[in-house]
Amino acid sequence: MAIDLDRCTGCMACSVACQAENNVSFRADESDKLRSITWLEVYHLQNGKEYPDYQFTYLPRPCMHCDSPHHSPCTFVCPVNATTRDEVSGIVNHIYPRCIGCRYCIVACPYHARDFNWWDPKWPKSMESMLSPEVSTRMRGVVEKCTFCHHRLLKARSKAYLDGIDPNEATYVPACAEACPTKAITFGNLLDPESEVAKLSKDPRAFRILAKLNTEPKVYYLSKHQWVHKLGDNSF
Amino acid sequence: MKFGRRAFLQFAAGAVGGTLLSPMPWRLADDTAIWSQNWSWRPSPERGPITTVPTVCTLCQGGCGIQARLVNGNRAIFLEGNPVHPVNAGGICPLGAAALQYLYAPYRIEQPMKQTRARGEAAGFQPISWSEALDDLVKRLARLKSEGTPGGVACITGSRWNSMDDLWARFFSAYGSPGLFKMPSHSDSLRATAKLALGKDSPLAFALENASYVLSFGAALVEGWGAPARMQAAFMRWQKNGAGKGAAKLVQVESRCSMSAAKADQWVPVVPGTEALLALGIAHVMVKENLYDADFVSRGVLGFEDWTDMQGKVRSGFKKIALSAAYAPDQVAARTGVDAAKIQGLAREFASTANAVAVWGGGQHNVPGNIYHEMSFFALNVLRGNLKSGGLVSLVPDVPFQPADDQTAASAEGGAPQVKLGSVPGTRVPLPGNGIYGFLDILTRGMIPPLEVLFVHDANPAYSLPENKIFKAALDKVGYVVSMSPYMDETAMTADLILPNHAAFEGFEDVVGLPGVPYAYYAVSRPILKPRKDTKHSGDVVLQLSKALGGNVAAALPWASYEEYLKNRVNALAASKRGAVADKKDIDLSRLQSSVSVSPNFKDGTDLWKKLTGGFCWYDVPVDVRSALDTDSGKIELAFRAIQGKGLNVEDDQVYLPHFKPLPPSGDEKEYPLLLLSYGMLSLSCENLANPPFMTKTLWDFVLKKNDLFVEVNPSTAGPLGMSEGSKAVLKTPQGEVAVRVHLSQAARPGAIYMPQGLGHTAYDEYIQGKGVNSNSVVEVQVDPITGMGTVWATRAQLRRA
Repeated sequence: MAIDLDRCTGCMACSVACQAENNVSFRADESDKLRSITWLEVYHLQNGKEYPDYQFTYLPRPCMHCDSPHHSPCTFVCPVNATTRDEVSGIVNHIYPRCIGCRYCIVACPYHARDFNWWDPKWPKSMESMLSPEVSTRMRGVVEKCTFCHHRLLKARSKAYLDGIDPNEATYVPACAEACPTKAITFGNLLDPESEVAKLSKDPRAFRILAKLNTEPKVYYLSKHQWVHKLGDNSF
Repeated sequence: MKFGRRAFLQFAAGAVGGTLLSPMPWRLADDTAIWSQNWSWRPSPERGPITTVPTVCTLCQGGCGIQARLVNGNRAIFLEGNPVHPVNAGGICPLGAAALQYLYAPYRIEQPMKQTRARGEAAGFQPISWSEALDDLVKRLARLKSEGTPGGVACITGSRWNSMDDLWARFFSAYGSPGLFKMPSHSDSLRATAKLALGKDSPLAFALENASYVLSFGAALVEGWGAPARMQAAFMRWQKNGAGKGAAKLVQVESRCSMSAAKADQWVPVVPGTEALLALGIAHVMVKENLYDADFVSRGVLGFEDWTDMQGKVRSGFKKIALSAAYAPDQVAARTGVDAAKIQGLAREFASTANAVAVWGGGQHNVPGNIYHEMSFFALNVLRGNLKSGGLVSLVPDVPFQPADDQTAASAEGGAPQVKLGSVPGTRVPLPGNGIYGFLDILTRGMIPPLEVLFVHDANPAYSLPENKIFKAALDKVGYVVSMSPYMDETAMTADLILPNHAAFEGFEDVVGLPGVPYAYYAVSRPILKPRKDTKHSGDVVLQLSKALGGNVAAALPWASYEEYLKNRVNALAASKRGAVADKKDIDLSRLQSSVSVSPNFKDGTDLWKKLTGGFCWYDVPVDVRSALDTDSGKIELAFRAIQGKGLNVEDDQVYLPHFKPLPPSGDEKEYPLLLLSYGMLSLSCENLANPPFMTKTLWDFVLKKNDLFVEVNPSTAGPLGMSEGSKAVLKTPQGEVAVRVHLSQAARPGAIYMPQGLGHTAYDEYIQGKGVNSNSVVEVQVDPITGMGTVWATRAQLRRA
């Protein structure tokens, strides 16, 4: 995935579409950001200068689906194999019923991409009708995070199979990239050098956040501002 | 037999071994695992085939094509952008992505309700049937009409870019009351400016997609600006070249580092409210250095050079005003806080870059602006020659609905003495625009008889009208308030009768034109689900009332249902043989030229209806300003010639020309040393729709923390007041006093306080109620003396520690 921060207008459509697509629960008070469950969280970065030299940008942060050798930080620490990386698709998944809620993965993730269900998710009765059957709702005591809309991949693979195409050739777009009104989010196969996303990852504006940790995140950001590149190496 | 230690151990080992050999532990472990995954109190969404239905979003006026995903055809689970739609090309805004939360909102109204106790008492609402409710209403309306006082009925509607606008107008014309008012919008100003300068009653439109230099005076471009998805698409195009080099340069003139300012290639910070002064400073440099389109201006513009008024008196033109010392760079620099050299630089850049356009307004509340300032911004486009044929500035085109022999329109007018809808009785403003503030004012002050019936449709003025206490005060002079809101909002709470409308996506709706967009646009939004509650479309309510009233009202509105009425309009549109349907991917509407007409790709009305309800939109070429021009002089008028005949005749030549004239806010500067400004965000809904929970989740914790709202203040302003990050404070303006917390931000200009719009609801449910403060309750409205429209630019304020 590549996210062009110069194009991002901070409208939050990506984050909202993610919540709607993935049955992310919400509570009456969501202002405590340490307790709030957000798969695609948006960060506010600023250049630290005074008025009128001040500048800011938003940085949408899905799970990085780290590509570091053998393990992602989270999959390495999981004692019950609830979170694993699919070495074919590269997606780091999380199997809720397996999760024992130890939260080691939350501690291990340097991107704060994981959230814990401190409470049972609860929807207003009438809003239960808008839950998607394609993504299971979670339960109290488990960790959840962005799956790059893995269910869309499965759907695309099934469709490819039925259409007589090699399922490994199936392509799809996650909800956030689809929703973005400025097309700031590009999704594709980084391993295919001809893909749009692979080209963007080689762009001189491209950088990855916390690249110094060698977690090899699979999300690239693009920004023309050097101060944004610099902040990308700070802890989040 | 003695049961010894050895026997005990043998027995225990045997028991363990035996149990392990039996299936019991494995069964138990399995059951435990299943039980631990079986959380019966957690909802399990019902499964079924998933289908996609295309339609058009009607939550705002943006006209985005969307598609809904349904399970079993009866449960909507997701809304996404329609990739073949030319406005949003698959993208969606956060409100659209969260839209189903309105459909399934717990605060929806189940059925018609009647207030049986004192107004505003939640417990007093009793359900009644539709027939009972409508019968009661018809009796009231019929009585007023027969008594010859139809003026006792009024309506406040938020609809302006759809056919409800026309339906209400027909109803009120036929019924004989002028009392049809719209919620304020910046497009009122763009309309007033076009009326003044071009003689056309349509809002200005800007071909921003084709601009390569955008000079924005506080226009909240990336925050929405009329049609949000279109603006996002335009912004994407400006960024297109990639590698950090945009295809267009965006210069944002604004006091706060808003999202538009942060995204701009250059942010020009100014003293709040002096944007128009800077525009005139730029005009000064352009005129002085001969950087304007002299050929265009000399041939097509009246009022640039000296001009002769209606009495034959020669008056100075805009050239003289612009060249006056007050607008010299040094003078402007002193008041705006922008360097003189920078002003000159901006003027030269604006004048020399190809396809440069100036835009303005709509940032702070969606309200009209000061007409002198609007005209000053407009003047920059005139100097730049942007109003030529095919130029970057034109008008929002009309959609050709009217067949030549429209019987119904004639009977609508013939019914009663000619009434000018939305006019304020006894008004003295020379060029009346949206009169809602004037009307509420004279109503409250008892200068007109109290209203018998007030309809509130598609609006929540008790919350979202800036200085909302004006509306609340006027309610005392209304006998019977009829709310048509689908939701239990602040206005519905104060109603005597609630006739709930369908929520979006439950009934047929349409979109007529897009704000600020130069091409013609029409779309029909078909329902994706059956109504979930016992609701009726407000259009159907109006048609039923007309039918029951009989006479000329029934003749003016003869349609059986709102759907039929829309079909009728689509038939008329098809009969006009104009425009085409965008039924393919990658149709670029911004490339349309007024000189190259498009050929229709639909057969007749039925075919067009079928295409439109299939999620496609109709479009047509932009207006050619030159041929649309309808002024007395036949030229673009920079001088307000028209106001002279309307009771304004003064010596000062400036009064007839764009100039800098801020409307002073009330209050003593000593008591209120700071200025309060509000700001909008695309991720915080601030008009008649309460923020949905999905969007509330994305709010920063320095905008809303628990129930506390944060105002942005520069550290250099907050420091001397003894405040630090998160300090509790009291914000006081001449309009009221509220408790807030302080967020220190370098985005804020020293001396100003910035407050987000869209919080502080008192109605709805636990997900929105009581969160933060409503900015509309503390800001002040200043009435523009020329148009009578309420404007909001700044409110004097005081901030003290709580």
